[in-house]
Amino acid sequence: MTIRLPTWIGSAVFTVKRVWKRRVRFRVGLIIVSAITLLAILSPFIVPYPSEGWGLIPLNNTNVSGQPPSLNHLFGTDDKGRDLFSRVLLGSSTALLQIVLVVGVSLVIGLTLGVLAAYYKGLVEYSLNYLIEVFLALPAILIAIPLKMAFGPGLHVIIASMVLTWWAWYGRVASVYARSVCEMDYVVIPKLSGLPGYKIVVRHVLRNVSPPVIVQAVTDFGSVLLEASAINFLGFGLPPDYPDWGVIAQNGLYYITKMPWISLIPGFFIMVTALGFSMIGDALRDELDPKLRRRWRLWF
Amino acid sequence: MVASLNYLFKRVFYSVFIVIGIIVVTYLLIILSPGDPAARWAGNPRGPGAGKAIEFARVELNLDKPLYLQVVLFIYNVLTGNLGVSISTKTPVLTAIWTHMSSTLELLIFAYMIGIPIGVFLGVFSSLRRGSFKGDVLESIGFVVANTPSFWTGMALFLVFSEVLGVSSYGRIDTRLATIMGFKPITGFYLIDTLIQGNIILFFDVLKRLIPPAIVVSLYPIGTGIRVVRVLMSEALSEDYVKQAIALGVSRRTVIWDYAFKGIIPGLTQVMGLSFVYSLVDAMIVEYVFGREGLGSLLVGAVVSNDFKLAVATLIIISTFYIIANTITDIVQAWIDPRVKL
Repeated sequence: MTIRLPTWIGSAVFTVKRVWKRRVRFRVGLIIVSAITLLAILSPFIVPYPSEGWGLIPLNNTNVSGQPPSLNHLFGTDDKGRDLFSRVLLGSSTALLQIVLVVGVSLVIGLTLGVLAAYYKGLVEYSLNYLIEVFLALPAILIAIPLKMAFGPGLHVIIASMVLTWWAWYGRVASVYARSVCEMDYVVIPKLSGLPGYKIVVRHVLRNVSPPVIVQAVTDFGSVLLEASAINFLGFGLPPDYPDWGVIAQNGLYYITKMPWISLIPGFFIMVTALGFSMIGDALRDELDPKLRRRWRLWF
Repeated sequence: MVASLNYLFKRVFYSVFIVIGIIVVTYLLIILSPGDPAARWAGNPRGPGAGKAIEFARVELNLDKPLYLQVVLFIYNVLTGNLGVSISTKTPVLTAIWTHMSSTLELLIFAYMIGIPIGVFLGVFSSLRRGSFKGDVLESIGFVVANTPSFWTGMALFLVFSEVLGVSSYGRIDTRLATIMGFKPITGFYLIDTLIQGNIILFFDVLKRLIPPAIVVSLYPIGTGIRVVRVLMSEALSEDYVKQAIALGVSRRTVIWDYAFKGIIPGLTQVMGLSFVYSLVDAMIVEYVFGREGLGSLLVGAVVSNDFKLAVATLIIISTFYIIANTITDIVQAWIDPRVKL
């Protein structure tokens, strides 16, 4: 018996192959992201000082604190004598975890509500659009503060505060696409022939709306990382000793003139990762949205 | 005229509704989180007077009344500006936010005065050279800038200014100098205040401390400007009226700035209006890095002292600010571009 994969996997693989062949930016981005992902998976096994990486302060910390990068400590040590290399490497998994959780959860919520808003017109559409508008106006950084005070610091604060704002964005994108999909014959005709609404929504509308929204989500990976690290940097999200790039950068802020490597190295990692994700997203969007694909030059 | 008034009225009415929605969501955030909301509202007090403080907070939040009445009363209190007294600064929350916000706004406005012209100019330049080396380099710069965390750029710039150039850019003003010279803030915008008082030395001191963070904040409008103007301008340059102008032999500069650029102003206004509000959060982060007194440092302090009231009030006020700025942008856009009127 042969196993039949769903067709969308084949088409997704095809698209990725085509973009890979045609876009330099996609290639660079994919290499960066794969490297970071590999780092995130392998980091628990390869870091030289795992306990320091997780935030434990070494016993004789006064004579190792604030060392510049050397062979013993590749990225140097921070103000409390912890090995920065281990901390930054462990931070890569935190970064990916935040990105995947935030985008995944808000994509599910946003797609569902956006499609519902476009399919069931009238009061449902009005109220859902109103909700989207309200949540779009709330900045994630400021939601994180009361959440942190109520629930205590941790990953849940970051995820909750960012999902609360990002789902609205995907909801809006989804409802814009779904509005045009709902006018298509393959939605109108099943509706007329009496197929129940939920089946039409799942089978026809959702399936046609999700690809562009998912591409939008891939484009946003970089911005999610930037915003999450900003929240962590200000100390509104994760606890102070957590291996996260934003948190480490904040630890080094007070020693910026004496030990600049504490802040600059994790910041550099944030930048590279965000760039990698944005390159992938940009290339995918350019490829799938052919409006501005042609090369254009002024002729005079 | 009637149509535009109608649009204005509709837009303002809708945004008032959204502001009310924001307040309701915030109230649910207060009520639904675990623990005693009254205790949190009072700042988790301990000691002999704690029971009294919590009782006071309970009255302030109307927790003894049914839920719908609580929500309505909370909306009423917020709209009448009654958000209580901050736990850490012991001043009315609104005053604390306003005094700190003026600093943030000063930074933001200054940064946009640098950022918009540079961004627009570079965007137009790169759109004229699409596909060539210079255009690609500019686009890549815009791309990298958009993906750099602002605190990182801020710290790097702070290092460059303090270590290489030897200019201290920490804080808003040299406090010692300000005390000696008898400087008093009037509007909260120190650049204007020093000019009003005719104090040139302090003016340059404030400027010196304002420029590095302003550069960091202005990177966002520059990056957005490059990318957005590039796309809009490329579309505008292939429009028929531009082609006709070129065919008629109108000069290159006139075609670019008077024909094509004029057509993209409405779109540009909207993007810049939106990014101005996004940059407010950016400015908060940069302020924290540079040790400037502002919303960013106020909020970091609020987290340290567990000032729940201040956090909630800031959430409401900044979101409202976002809605107001959004509405103004839409109205301005409708005023510039007659096609928008509904």
